[in-house]
Amino acid sequence: MASKSEGGGKDDINFIKDKFTTREGTYILAHWSEYTKPTRLQTSGSTNTPVRASFINVSGDPSPERICFNIGKELYVYVYKGVKKAADLTKPVDRRVYKATLPTCHDFNKIWVSKESLRLLVGFSHGQIQVTDPMRKEISSDPLKRELNKFFNEEKLIDKSKVTCIKWIPGQPDHFLVSYASGQLYVYNDELPCGPTPPTYQPFKQGDGYSIHTCKTKSTRNPLYRWVIGQGAINEFAFSPCARYLAVVSQDGFLRVFHYDSMELVGSMRSYFGGLLCVCWSPDSKFLVCGGEDDLVTVYSFNEKRVVCRGQGHRSWVSVVAFDPYTSVFSSDNSELRNGTKVQDVQATVANGNQSNHQKPPADLSQTSLQSSGSCVTTYRFGSVGQDTFLCLWDLTEDVIQQPINTRTRTSILLSNPNSVSATLPRCNNVQKTNSLLSSNDISGDGNAHPVGNSVMGNSTHHFATLSLGERKEITEKKEHKRNFSLSSKSSEKNNMLKSNHVKHIDESIKVLGTCSCPRLDEVPLLEPVVCEKISSERLTELVFREDCIVTACQEGIVNTWARPGRVVSDRDQ
Amino acid sequence: MGNNYSHLEKEIGSDQLPANEHYFGLVNFGNTCYCNSVLQALYFCRPFRDRVLQFKQLQKNNKKESLLTCLADLFYSIASQKKKVGTIAPKKFITRLRKEYDLFDNFMQQDAHEFLNYLLNRVSELLQEKQGNKGKINGAENQNKTEPTWVEDLFQGTFTNETRCLTCETVSSKDEDFLDLSVDVEQNTSITHCLRGFSSMETLSDEHKYYCEVCGTKQEAQKRMRVKKLPKILALHLKRFKYMEQLNRFTKLSHRVLFTFELRLFETSDDAYNPDRMYDLVAVVIHIGSTLNRGHYVSIVKSDGFWLLFDDDVVDKIDPSAIEDFYGMSSADMQQKTSETGYILFYQSRE
Repeated sequence: MASKSEGGGKDDINFIKDKFTTREGTYILAHWSEYTKPTRLQTSGSTNTPVRASFINVSGDPSPERICFNIGKELYVYVYKGVKKAADLTKPVDRRVYKATLPTCHDFNKIWVSKESLRLLVGFSHGQIQVTDPMRKEISSDPLKRELNKFFNEEKLIDKSKVTCIKWIPGQPDHFLVSYASGQLYVYNDELPCGPTPPTYQPFKQGDGYSIHTCKTKSTRNPLYRWVIGQGAINEFAFSPCARYLAVVSQDGFLRVFHYDSMELVGSMRSYFGGLLCVCWSPDSKFLVCGGEDDLVTVYSFNEKRVVCRGQGHRSWVSVVAFDPYTSVFSSDNSELRNGTKVQDVQATVANGNQSNHQKPPADLSQTSLQSSGSCVTTYRFGSVGQDTFLCLWDLTEDVIQQPINTRTRTSILLSNPNSVSATLPRCNNVQKTNSLLSSNDISGDGNAHPVGNSVMGNSTHHFATLSLGERKEITEKKEHKRNFSLSSKSSEKNNMLKSNHVKHIDESIKVLGTCSCPRLDEVPLLEPVVCEKISSERLTELVFREDCIVTACQEGIVNTWARPGRVVSDRDQ
Repeated sequence: MGNNYSHLEKEIGSDQLPANEHYFGLVNFGNTCYCNSVLQALYFCRPFRDRVLQFKQLQKNNKKESLLTCLADLFYSIASQKKKVGTIAPKKFITRLRKEYDLFDNFMQQDAHEFLNYLLNRVSELLQEKQGNKGKINGAENQNKTEPTWVEDLFQGTFTNETRCLTCETVSSKDEDFLDLSVDVEQNTSITHCLRGFSSMETLSDEHKYYCEVCGTKQEAQKRMRVKKLPKILALHLKRFKYMEQLNRFTKLSHRVLFTFELRLFETSDDAYNPDRMYDLVAVVIHIGSTLNRGHYVSIVKSDGFWLLFDDDVVDKIDPSAIEDFYGMSSADMQQKTSETGYILFYQSRE
């Protein structure tokens, strides 16, 4: 890594930082905790598969953390020692090299875990899926001791595009969800076979912009379900911390939120332009943040079904977004979320007390709230990394959250006073219900159920604007919807997909603009990052907030650990 | 060579080939790829092609040859082919171009952007001459005022140059028209960022001080340029060739600059008419190689939902995911790849 050249001053934009300061204090790059290949010299060259990291805690070991990351065709598992001890790169727990296919993403099973055994799920660039145990390698005649090594979609009969995201389903330790560049999402049971023939699907459920299918077989086989969502690749998905909702972001620029069990679409949002690449949930399941090709981070309120604000700071596409649950301060009142997470309402990570350090005006007000636990000055902290090699940290504060959409006077469609957020809120929810009702029944596909349009109609402020637009487009809209449905019915042919893709776009993107799914630029606040630093020479591909550190990874295959303020004893430093 | 075309037909599927579309490679007449790549990109900017073919319809009896008639003949000969794929030799056009413009009258590699600029301005001039003739007939002769032609209608946008005197705080603004925008490139950025750089605030000081009319003297000032009128076709030129004084030559900046299939502009002026216009990428001229004079140009175009690569006489279908190879190179790629970089991007407005 090209680090601090002598000439490069701190203001030089090409200067790679090894520390940065927020209101909590200073984060320091833990040089001793750099994870990469055992031998740095043998670079296999940069590939285009992003380097991602997964963690698992195997309790009962002095160093209980394990880290898994992929670099090119290789997959590594190490003991992760965090900020405390130096990384020992000579002894990986496991190292695998794949031929003709590259690992793209992975996830540890959080239930099936012990000191001796792990269950690691891996997705590949050519569509295959592997479930393996990195702890057990010997091939034994005793079937119980034999290496766990299952493949799914090995013959690429189910999908041959790239796996874009793969995760165990919360609460169902034998089930996992996998998304593909083909725009499809599959539910697998890792106890079931895939079958020797390509699956034949039958429709199970259909809604606006998505459809769900099951396999048409006598005996149960994988995949259990196939979801076809939007147009073009699914880039990432995320389960809400309360485990009830599934958020999916796609190349068509849409975020779609589903109630997972009922498979209803319950919310959606559109990027300003271009694909949405990443998504994450706030720890209380109330907000979602997406990053995309518009170089923006966009905050979506799941409760209010609207875009709350956008953040501008990156100089290129945003590749990963993540909330920092340890620095976020919010009320733990999750009455509406039954299985709400146990995230503490206040986690004053750093009682550093060193307040003279770099203070920004909005920071002052939250500093007090950080210390006085229980007070309800909400501040969510989230971070983002991008292809620009920059890390940004953002504070989502109460005043921004409560700011209503600023309908511009020049659009002159203002009906009710814009201050009545509370008044529009329940209506939004209301509409959401009718909406899902409509979309689930709407299998005929005449394209009337439009969550985007409808949720907007419910909001009195925008009523007239949308109506007039809708009327004008009504006829063409119907036509185009049919094309859209023909696609979701059955066509893995890329050509067809791209064609209808093109048609659909014209309709959708222009209609959504100026609604709470995609406000105009000046209709919602534009956040600035509290931290925006170049921390790598190569594009960044991973960001994980942990209790005592932040973990980042770059395309070159280096996983870095940033110690939170006060987590490094000063003499340990360098 | 015939194999290539059947290959393309097979790849797309001959039944999948759009009914009224023709994919014809252009023969290279010795380093004329700078010309071929731009012509293909323009051919697949549908509004431009339509206007050129319309011109051809109206010009049937006119015998006088110009660069525009040669362009119209070339486009017409592609559009009226019986076969859907093949090769055409743009001989007449190249000959005319070399005759008209000294700089291109040789067998050297030229700058594709310079050619695009020349072509659009020349076509506009020729159209104005025609309009001027009509004007004379009508007796409404006005030499100073140039009537906008369809070239301006398609490509012309306006930016507002706002200058604020730091002494008297007076803001003066001046509108300027453009047919394309040339943006500076930086490593690991996006086209959006490059466009924001174009509009970023610049301080005029020292020898660059600004003459303030209110103060009556040269003063320090802040200047920024924001787009006021967004064109129908937004042509973006990435300034990848930088003159290095120490080396006394142009070097290429192969920086990795991402471009999106969709685009909206961020830095528009407050009085912009259509600030949130949505654009779709329709064509990209790509420069291959490490220097301006010894490289090669190809273009990728979008046609009926799929992407095609035109490399002189060879046409291939490409997967959209392969387009990321043309973003450029980050530091880690430098040793392994040849520099294949997006150079001119053509975005077409969705409305």
